[in-house]
Amino acid sequence: MTAVIEVTGLSKTFGSIRAVDDVSFTVEENKIYGLLGRNGAGKTTLMQLLTGQDFAMKGDIRVFGESPVENAHVLQRISFIKESQRYPDDFRVKHVFKSAPWFFANWDAEFAERLIGDFRLPLNQRIKKLSRGQLSSIGVIVGLASRAPLTFFDEPYLGLDAVARQTFYDRLLEDYAQNPRTVILSTHLIDEVANLLEHVLVIDQGRIIIDQDAESLRGTATAVVGVATAVDAFVGTREVIHRDRVGGLASVTIAGLDATERAAASAAGLELTPVSLQQLIIRRTNTSEREFEQSA
Amino acid sequence: MTTATETQFRAAGPAGRILNVVRLNVANPWTTIIMPWLILGIIFLANLTIWWIIFNSVGADNVADVSDGLQYSGASTWIFVYMTVVAIQAINLTFPFALGYGVTRRDFWLGSSVTFVLLSAMYAVGMTILSVIEETTNGWGLGGHMFTAVFFGDTWLQRLFIYFVAFLFFFFFGAAIATVYVRWRANGVTLFFVVLAALLIAGAAVLTLTGNWQVIGDFFARTGLVGSFAWSLVITVISGFAGYLILRRATPKN
Repeated sequence: MTAVIEVTGLSKTFGSIRAVDDVSFTVEENKIYGLLGRNGAGKTTLMQLLTGQDFAMKGDIRVFGESPVENAHVLQRISFIKESQRYPDDFRVKHVFKSAPWFFANWDAEFAERLIGDFRLPLNQRIKKLSRGQLSSIGVIVGLASRAPLTFFDEPYLGLDAVARQTFYDRLLEDYAQNPRTVILSTHLIDEVANLLEHVLVIDQGRIIIDQDAESLRGTATAVVGVATAVDAFVGTREVIHRDRVGGLASVTIAGLDATERAAASAAGLELTPVSLQQLIIRRTNTSEREFEQSA
Repeated sequence: MTTATETQFRAAGPAGRILNVVRLNVANPWTTIIMPWLILGIIFLANLTIWWIIFNSVGADNVADVSDGLQYSGASTWIFVYMTVVAIQAINLTFPFALGYGVTRRDFWLGSSVTFVLLSAMYAVGMTILSVIEETTNGWGLGGHMFTAVFFGDTWLQRLFIYFVAFLFFFFFGAAIATVYVRWRANGVTLFFVVLAALLIAGAAVLTLTGNWQVIGDFFARTGLVGSFAWSLVITVISGFAGYLILRRATPKN
């Protein structure tokens, strides 16, 4: 597999805040990545660094093998859709779709038109007058129809209702199947996009705390549910990710189990339930927070 | 997979990229081209009406006197301020937008500079043509002055030059101020004007204390109207380079 992005030892601080803190990872071609994390975790800063909009303080960024900073050769292959994207003051919706094809070599006008219909976007409306959701749908349409070899969506659906979000996910998957490309989707609606993602990067306080294949990540944890004493006996000295207790019942999230361990659990009258990606990440980020507090 | 994406992809050359920025800046021609001419037309009609009223009330004998007074007309000066705003908007709003489209800062600045030069040329030529009509019709038959105001020069060639360099100055100076804002926000702009004011006051103080105001007066008298406008090119060129250097390290913020 070819690496589209290679990051090593990347750091960026704003005053005393470490927005991105000694981060290293690789993004492979033609996969959908989820860049997940809480608000202020460093998602946007990281994407601004990868697209040459912000400047690294330490470390090295290679996008398509080269530094992205002021590099037209690299930047022409990137589409970066930001939640907070600003538009020229006098633009109407139609001006965005008139100008986008000049900058994206793979622009598909027919696809864009279909999406404009899907999202019911009024072309003659001034951008300043659009609702939050309509503004987001402009970004979503540009990001999809640009078909850039590397597409970033930074929280692209603020203000979009559930139907519109589903339309976005559906169109993304359909088009991705026909025109494979690398997509990096940043979001905190983790469960909604969980099925879309092939690889997960979780950033917390500027550090990458999970960098794993989505499938294998789901297998890394199981919740053991049952009578508290039985659960405790089964868990034993295993590493506990999370523990819930209601009366005599307990639910303990532990690392993934193999077939014999699963059999042993059901023999002990315990129930095994899968842990959703969102729960898994919430628990992992909590852990790192606690560790951080202890070390500080 | 790599080769498929590579062959599919048609990259634009440097000239094409700069041209695309020019097109982006005038993507909505209403703001940069149609509206200014429309306002200019409305102001012209308003002036025409006033000239007509004056013409009818003072009588044909006194028209020459009135025409002398009208040559200090400031009716078309607003357009320079308007273009400063166009330049500021281009840097403040079109710049972050263009970066999202994968434009480099260098291409954006070059493309915007080309846009400013083209718009300056268009308005300078258009207003010079109007000034020639104004001259040959003896002020639209009413002794009026709007495009031949005294500070635009005596001949059409002088007016073409003065209009052109004046537009360039207002575009590039406005754009340079906007880069200060984009990079350092309001604090940067405030600091810039505080320093600028301090320098001007210091200069005035030196001239007053040394009794050298005469030198300034002599300078403008010696260089003349056209020469003085030509000197504005120094500030325009400095703005052009400074703007790029400032924008080169700027990150669009929300």
